[in-house]
Parts: sequence; structure tokens; C-alpha cells
Amino acid sequence: MSTTNSPGERKMVTFSLGQQMFGIDMNALIEIREWEEPTPLPGVAPFIKGVTNLRGTVIPVVGLAERIGWPASKIHSRSCILVVNISGNQCGFLVDEVADIVLIKDEDVQPAPDMETAENVIRGLVQISTRATDGSQGEAGTMVSLLDLNALSLTRQLDFAA
Amino acid sequence: MSDELDEIQAIFFEECAEGLVTAEQGLSAMAGGDVSADVIAGVFRAVHSIKGGAGAFGHAALTAFSHRFENVLDEVRAGRIAPTPGVTAVMLTAFDILSDHVEASKGTAPAPADAAALAALDEVLATGGAGTPAAPVAAATPVIEAADDFGFTPVTAVIDDLDPFGFEPIGVMLEDLDPQPAEAPSEVAGWTVRFAPSRSALANGGEPLLVVREVEHLGGSVVDIDCSALPPLRDLDPEESYMVWTLSAPATLPQADIAECFDFVSPDSIIEITRAEPPADTDLELAPSSAAAAPDPGHAAPEPTSATTAFSPNRAPEPEVLALAVVPKSDTPRAAEPAAQTIRVDLTKLDMLLNLVGELVIRNSILTDRLSPKEQQRVELPELARLTREIQDNVMSLRAQPIKQAFSRVPRMLRDLSVETGKLVLLETTGESTEVDKGVIEKIGDPLTHMIRNAVDHGIESPDDRAAVGKPREGTIRLSAEQKSARIFVRVSDDGRGIDRARVRAKAVEKGIIPADAVLSNEEIDQLICAPGFSTAESISNISGRGVGMDVVRSNVEALGGRVEISSVPGQGTTFTMILPLTLAILDGMVVRLAGQRYVLPLATVVESVKPEPGQVRPMSRTTEVIELRGNYLPVRRLGDLFGFGGKGRAPEDSLVIIVESEAGHVGLMVDTIEDRREVVIKSLDQNLHPIRGLGGATILGDGSIALILDVEALVGSSASAPQHSLKGLAA
Repeated sequence: MSTTNSPGERKMVTFSLGQQMFGIDMNALIEIREWEEPTPLPGVAPFIKGVTNLRGTVIPVVGLAERIGWPASKIHSRSCILVVNISGNQCGFLVDEVADIVLIKDEDVQPAPDMETAENVIRGLVQISTRATDGSQGEAGTMVSLLDLNALSLTRQLDFAA
Repeated sequence: MSDELDEIQAIFFEECAEGLVTAEQGLSAMAGGDVSADVIAGVFRAVHSIKGGAGAFGHAALTAFSHRFENVLDEVRAGRIAPTPGVTAVMLTAFDILSDHVEASKGTAPAPADAAALAALDEVLATGGAGTPAAPVAAATPVIEAADDFGFTPVTAVIDDLDPFGFEPIGVMLEDLDPQPAEAPSEVAGWTVRFAPSRSALANGGEPLLVVREVEHLGGSVVDIDCSALPPLRDLDPEESYMVWTLSAPATLPQADIAECFDFVSPDSIIEITRAEPPADTDLELAPSSAAAAPDPGHAAPEPTSATTAFSPNRAPEPEVLALAVVPKSDTPRAAEPAAQTIRVDLTKLDMLLNLVGELVIRNSILTDRLSPKEQQRVELPELARLTREIQDNVMSLRAQPIKQAFSRVPRMLRDLSVETGKLVLLETTGESTEVDKGVIEKIGDPLTHMIRNAVDHGIESPDDRAAVGKPREGTIRLSAEQKSARIFVRVSDDGRGIDRARVRAKAVEKGIIPADAVLSNEEIDQLICAPGFSTAESISNISGRGVGMDVVRSNVEALGGRVEISSVPGQGTTFTMILPLTLAILDGMVVRLAGQRYVLPLATVVESVKPEPGQVRPMSRTTEVIELRGNYLPVRRLGDLFGFGGKGRAPEDSLVIIVESEAGHVGLMVDTIEDRREVVIKSLDQNLHPIRGLGGATILGDGSIALILDVEALVGSSASAPQHSLKGLAA
């Protein structure tokens, strides 16, 4: 899983939450694991589903959909946890389905329009072509929201969580 | 290249920091009356090595200052300036400036104004010298640069000192200054020769007396003659050799010279030339200073009547003289100290090791879970577990440091604070040797600083105010550390005016932290001090009104998985307690089950567990319950309610009540069942998340699942003070 990109390009992991497509920088991804019910924590924000054991480290599992203001994900057979590294802290995000790994050019990323949201977790928007089953470029035009992982950092969200 | 230099420089600053700690501890000990040579020499060495390093890295100001400081220390060490409280105070001030200079050299602070301190040092040097008849002490200052490493100046100074004291002492001196000055010390540290001439040696005309004389001529002497082999006279064989000489020779002699004396002794004789234990070099260099020690009693003793106040620096006779005599001893082990070698290890490497050991412990418990007792014995699992435990203890101890390190900056701070505020403060410290994880020590520095500042600025009253209410003019700050089970308690208490709750409350309302009509208990008002943005300082002082305040203390401590407790009695003082975890301690825990989840209760807090009879647990009010236990009623908390899991949970008869001990007394915690008792490895939650009130961390059980570790104090405490929400809001 090489993460060396040519300048101006980056690999993104795309996944779905409900009907929406999102992407995170591949460099931040540690692993993708199957959904497993985490150990619930008392007295934390509802979007923190609990903690789980990542090879000896206790990491929080966050319902990403709720975290960014969407209805909570329903757990199904393809639910999985993206384990990411946010400036040194590890965190698992519950997502509905991992879609693909795509290479995008920086110039194709549009900054997210400045909307009046409480906190901006979307770093930019990009259009990708869905990959057809035979590997050729399929239909164009799926909007992917690139997430700003630092804005999702839990250790920074002390007030939010309490 | 410059990276390399930076690295070396970083090591230098690390050493500086250690040196400063040593120096400060020494100076504090001196201020406390311990003026033993060990202490003084320790301070001297610390300052000396800072000077050396500073010179090597071209920190001119630091070098210059430490040099001047060292001059005074050298005089004190040599006993020419008595470490009177006055002198010690000057040195303490100089120490403060020295640490500022170190900071300045790092580039983290501006260069301090050291003129006053330098003047004070010079004055000590000057008066220390003027007080004695020997002016050369002051004159020696320029010489010292060349001599201070292992100066021979002391010897010359001693001679000058002695002149006015008449003949008796000189008589002593002459012997000591004999061309073979090392004669006496050589018995201890020079060459030892065992000489047993053989029968044939005697037959060949070898005369032992001549050989012994030759050795004596070189400066040696006879230590012992072993005649035990000598038979009774009638059995004596006049041609046999019976005696064994033990001779000593000065350490300065080359071995060959000694061997030469025995050249003409028949080779079948026993000739063993050995070195006594300590390396000769150190002894040689120390010899002059031990020689210098000798005359001191001489000159101190005949002088007492003529001693006036001006002379007093040199008077403090007995301890000082004793101390001097000890100097060489304390130096010798330093020169030959292979036993206490240390290496520097990057902390991240230790962390890695610690983490791996944690894994090992968990793997062990997984094995314990999966193997039957019989199989465990077959694969010698208990043995493995014991080893693992030992490894863990050892790795833990690598990171453990006495909390003294964090405390050591307090005295300096108090000196500064008392100058700034004009308040008089005494410091009492206990439990300095409590060992805490290094990470914890580093992180409690800031909170500790704030707490101390707070105590001086807000707690302790001005001397006049104190006198007015009948308290001693000096305020007292008590700093203590102790370990209780898996927690470290660090307390800062003052005997000041206590928290002015009305004012705190008013301020909190003014700042919009609480609504004006809020009903708060005293404890809750005290906690407001820790609310973000709260500061009652009427005017922002230099000291504690820096805009941040106790909320920093609280958030730092909570980031460590600890908490802060405040107790205050108006007019009598305030105590802040930081309750901190021992990082990654193994916790002896009781695993309990509640609503399908497992939790770990620290066994140290568990008093007993009770299976309630129907009716034994009764509601006391709508939300509180009590359990009747041998005639006592204890409060009962349902763990499920505390955690807000909702639902009614099981009926008390189907549950277990675990009686835990907390600072609030005995409290029952209602859980579903007890599952197990085991040792668990604490994994912090705040590493990747944030501390959660009521939880001391998490652990990974043998099957890989996570169990949360309960913080009994916080659980019981948070439920005791009614509106849970306000507390949580403050915690954030």
C-alpha cells in the first residue's frame, strides 16, 4: 500500500455514509476493520460509540455520520471501521461502506463553499468517476466530500464531548 | 555537523538542569543548616561542571558568572569562608541568577541582570578574606582560574594563613610539607610490598635489613612484620628464613624503582608488589588538600580568644574542619565510581519498551485464560508470569523518578514570590522521595507552579494582616506527596485566609459562569476556581493573574487521568490536592459485570461485597438508596445510574453491592455480578480520547475485550454533590 504520491496528487479512500460519498487522505489511514461492537463509555458525547482494542491500544470508535451531523449509521454487514491517525492520536470511524481508493489531483479539489455550519469538517469537494466493474472509467459525476481530519480530532473536542 | 553540535549542546543543557537541581538541593540543605563537606562539594561540582560545559559551548556570560560563583564556592569548600546563613543566602541568590543564565544560554530567556549578585559574591570573597589575617585569599582570586581545577593554591594560602599563628602549628606543617608529603596517605593508597626472602637468599648473603632500608629511602616504610612462622628457639634453624615483611611505598614511585630494591634478592624469594585500591592519581592530587586540612584545627584552636566578629567567617570550627578532612573521601569515590554508571536513554525508547511489556502481560493473561490449570503447569506458565511481572516492575522502575525533581523548583519560586509580594513564606516538604513516573513528573510541573503561586498570591496574607489575626508573620506552605494504592496524592496547602466563597461566587456570576440564582454547595463554589476564565485577582498581578489559572491546573491534571480536589476553611487555609495515576501501573482489580459490560474496580478500594437480602436496600429519597449493614446505613449507588445507562437494572436482590472505601466514607456500589479478581494493565483513555470522569482508564482482558477501570473516588464524589451536570460542565 504505497502512499508515495507524485506532487499535486493524492490517494483518497472513499466511503459512503448514507447516500453521501466522503473521502479521507490515504496517508492518515491505518487500517480498515470489520465492525465489532465497541465497549460503551459512560458520560461521553453520543457520537462516541465506545472504545475498542487495536492491538493493545485503546482507541475510541466514533459514529462518523453523527459526528458530522447526519443521522446515525445503521449497522449492517458491510459496516466497517476506518482506523485513522489524527496528528498522532488514533481513532476509529464507523462508516457504512468503503468504496474505493482513488487518485485525485489537488487542482481538482474545490474548496468547500463557505456555508454557515457550526464547524467545518469538509475540506473540499471533488468529483470522481465511479469505477466500472471491468476497471475502465465509468460514469463521471459523483461528488465526494473530503474530510478535514484535524477538525474531527477528539482530543481537541473536550468541550464538545463533556 | 551543526545538528550534531545541537545534540551535544542539548545534552549539555540536560546536564545543566541536573546540575542546577543538585546545586539547589545542596544550597537548600546548607540553608537548612547542613554544611557538611559532601553537600558543599556537591554544589561546587555542579557549578563547576556547568562552567566547564558553558566554556566549551562559548556561553560567555554563563561561563563568567559561574566562574565568579565558583570562586566563592571554592573558598567555602576549602573552609576559608564559613557557610554562614548570610553567605548561603548570597549563594542562593547567585544560584537563581545562575539558572537564569542557563535559560538565557538556551535562548529561552533574556540574559539576567547579574550585577547585584556578582557584587554580593565579590563582597563575600573580599570579607571572607579580609576577616582572616591572610590577605592573599583575596589576592588568590586571579590565580584561581589556573588553579581551581585541583588547585594547589590552597597549600600556599594555608602557609600564609599560618604565619601569624606562631610556631606550634608550623611545626605540624613542616612535617606535612616535607618533600615526601604523601607519606601518611601512602599507607592507605600507595604500593604494598610483601617480601619474604627465601632460605637461599639468606645463604647468598642477602640482608633483608638493607633491602628494607632501601625501600625506606625511597619513602616507604614497614607496615607489618609477620613472625608467625618463627619456631621456638630450640627448633630454630639459624639458616632458615622465617619472616615476612609488609612494606608500603609512596604511590608516586614507579613500580620499577621499587622492584629495583629487590634486584639482588634471590629469585625464589616472595616479592609481591601491589597497588592499594584507589588509583594513585586522585590521591596525589588530593594530598595537598588533606594536608591543608591538617593545619586548620591548629589555627582554629589557638585563636578563639582573639576571634572577633570580623573573624567569624573562619571560626565555625568543628564541623568545618571535620568537613574539610572529609573532602578527599567524597572525591575519591567519584573518581572510582564504576558501580554507579548511568547511560542516557531516549524516553521514547523506554515508552516503547513499556508498551511492549504491557502487551506481554496481556498475552500472559490470555494464556492463563485459555489453558487449563494442568496445561498451565505443563508449560510452566506460572514461571513465565512471574518473569513477566518482574520485567514489568523493572521497566516501570526505569521510568520512575523521585518527585523531588518536580518539587525542587519550588523553593526558588517561593523566594521570587516572596520578594515580589513582600509576603513571608516557609516551605515544608514531605514525601519527596515518592517515586512517580517521569511523564507524570514532567506534567505536574506547571500545575504545581500554579498552585504554589495561587497559594502565595491568594492564600497567604501579608505579614501585617497575619499578625493582626494572631497568626505567625510567616505563612507556611506544605508540599507533600504520597502514594496510596495506584494513585499519587500531591498536596499544596497553605495556612492563609482560605477561599472567600462569597467573592468567588460573585465573580462567577459576573463572568457568566453560573447563573445568578444558582444554588451551589461550598464544594461546588470551591470548584469554580477551576472553571475556565475564572480569576479573582482584583488586579492582574505578575504572579497568578496571568489570565490562565486553576483551569490550567485542572485540565493538565485531568489530561493525566487525575483530578484536583480543593478543600478550604475560611481563615485557616486552603488545600489543593492533585490525585494522579501511576502511569501504566498494574492494578489489582476486581472484575465486575454490569449490563453485559465488564468493569474493573481497584481492589484496594473494595471493602467487601454483599448479596442483599430482600429489603436490605431501601430508598431513602426518590433518587437515593441506602443499604443496612450490621446496623449501619450506607449510601448505595447503582453503577448503571451513575453511568446514565438508564433502565431500572436488576432488583437489589439479584445484584451485588460492593462496599468501597472512598474519602467520603464507605459507599455501596450496586453491580450485577462479580466475575473475577485479577491484575490488569491500565491503558489510558486520554491517549487517544480524553479523560472521562469516573473512569481511571481501561484495560484489555485476556479475551482481547476492553474493560473500563472505575475511579471510585470520582464516581462516589461526583454523585455525592448533587447536580451532576454542573460538575461535568466544569470538567470540560
